[in-house]
Amino acid sequence: MNIIVCVKSVPITTEAELVIDRTGKAVILEDTPFDINEWDEYALEEAVRLKEKFGGEITVVTVSPRDVKEVILKCLAKGADRAIKIVDRSIAEYDAYTIARILHTAIKNMRYDLILCGAQASDDGYALVGVMLASLLRIPYVTMVKGLELANGYVITVRELEEGFEEIVEVKLPALLTIQTGINEPRYASIMAMRRARQKEIISLDLKSMNLTESDLGNWIEIQEFLIPERKKKCIMLCGDANEVTTKVVEILKQRGFLK
Amino acid sequence: MRAEGLFGKEELEILKNLNFNLCLQCGKCAASCPMFLRTELNPRTLVRKTLYFTSQLTLYPPFSISEINNVWTCTTCNNCIIYCPRDVKPLNIILGLRAILLERGNVPSTIGEALENIYKFGNPFGISSLKRAEWARGLNIKKASRGSKIDLLYFVGCITSYDNRAQSIARSMVAILKNSEVDFSILGENENCCGNEVYYLGERGLFETIIEKNIERFQQYEVSKIVATCPHCFNVLKNKYKVGDIEILHHTQLLSDLIDKGMMNFSQRLNKKIAFHDPCYLGKHNNIFEEPRKILESIPGVTLLELEHSRRNSLCCGCGGGRMWYKDAGEISRPSEDRVKEAVDIGAEILAVACPLCLSELEDAVKKIGYESKLQVLDIAEVVHKSISAS
Repeated sequence: MNIIVCVKSVPITTEAELVIDRTGKAVILEDTPFDINEWDEYALEEAVRLKEKFGGEITVVTVSPRDVKEVILKCLAKGADRAIKIVDRSIAEYDAYTIARILHTAIKNMRYDLILCGAQASDDGYALVGVMLASLLRIPYVTMVKGLELANGYVITVRELEEGFEEIVEVKLPALLTIQTGINEPRYASIMAMRRARQKEIISLDLKSMNLTESDLGNWIEIQEFLIPERKKKCIMLCGDANEVTTKVVEILKQRGFLK
Repeated sequence: MRAEGLFGKEELEILKNLNFNLCLQCGKCAASCPMFLRTELNPRTLVRKTLYFTSQLTLYPPFSISEINNVWTCTTCNNCIIYCPRDVKPLNIILGLRAILLERGNVPSTIGEALENIYKFGNPFGISSLKRAEWARGLNIKKASRGSKIDLLYFVGCITSYDNRAQSIARSMVAILKNSEVDFSILGENENCCGNEVYYLGERGLFETIIEKNIERFQQYEVSKIVATCPHCFNVLKNKYKVGDIEILHHTQLLSDLIDKGMMNFSQRLNKKIAFHDPCYLGKHNNIFEEPRKILESIPGVTLLELEHSRRNSLCCGCGGGRMWYKDAGEISRPSEDRVKEAVDIGAEILAVACPLCLSELEDAVKKIGYESKLQVLDIAEVVHKSISAS
């Protein structure tokens, strides 16, 4: 069972005050820490569990405009056997289709049974790369997978639908699955394990070494403008003892028409 | 089942280096363990089974991974080491097993998350380091800067820096130092996690990284003395770092010293019955028992009470060694609740602590049992602060 896992290095923005740059078409990320995309972490864990059960090798592939060393070492520490990193500054300007084209070029001649991608990325949230890559490779795909089982050259997957519904889909291997969070509990990568992971094979590529030119990489999506949403709701802090606060709450509820 | 079934060669080496073949199986470690009756953790059987494994002896029933996983419930209170008559140090076996599980990536997710946050943000909460000194805003505290020598560094610690309730310890400490005209600095945004819980969780690689970073800071600012209000920071800085000539103090030691030198100006009477709860990392790990009691007794009006379990026999609050990030599978009775009841039983009005973890855990217990009107939990710095200012 040879598995390819596509991972993305994403900014950790929960604590960051995001600033839009002067062009209005990008967010300034210079001082923001980066980490593996959460969905990809679950995809990698699923791959490692399959490897532990059925053997085989895991190759991690990542495409990024900036250094991804930490993310790669983390994946290798968790159980991937080798990593291919495609780093090129121009990648920052590319959309999901172009990223899928780059991944396709890297993967098309490799031998694999399964490709796992995260269902979406926490930064742009398009959920497109996985399905586009599968289409380019002409292999079947299943999205939003929250459970999977292998059986005789097929993979039986459980898809997450809305309102708690589930759909069971069976596809022939090789196939691509986009993995939903919660499918497993990702393991921890210790610092020692990350240090040891430096011994594993890391292949570094860029667009030039892959013979990809501008004409191969046309975007389908053009970003018009980034906007910071206007704050429309506000939080009111009520101070005072229980009696005062209760009186104020009742007044507010009356004013808003919730109480008569 | 033989050893090779459960541990790898390198993993067995970690365990073989621990000295536990003197164990008599007397069970004092289990009897004194705050988690033994609450969870599946049993230090006595862990010692026995690990000994069988490293000696290649067959064991029935076999040692299982789920049994080893119980090591995450340990609070690292040090009781098992203190009470062992044969110097076996069961805690070290727990730390060895934690290191093995951690290297395999087999860590409870909440603990893994805290460790990742420490690696990425320098604190277990995953909050930006830029917010580390927000508690100090408006207090006019000297922050370490390039080229300045620091005589006394106040190492605030993660919990005291970020936790709303614990921040009051830092503010009280600052008020006391200013009142006694002691010159001190903080590292502010440049302070990083001390690594005590990282060490006791067995994350050796991360611990090395933290030590390296912190020692570099201390050297950069030519620090002569460090005071910590958190005994976890104090313990690791004093016993696990190799800081050369830098003197490491817990705030109870510093305040006790200020009293001796006549530099503490107690201007307010505090007519309260106060019991002191010995935090594990101050008492059981570092034998500091007298200083906190001396401070409390020096405050005009205070009646110092002794809890039934005190000093080396103190009860653990249940938070140390990374356990504050561990989620038990089901509801367990918390050691902190027993402690709070003990304080109320002897008529204490204030339960004084000297640790931000104990503060938060014991205060939660007071709320949970509904003792808010009977017992207040305060850090010793907060108690002293009340007695030096009218506010």
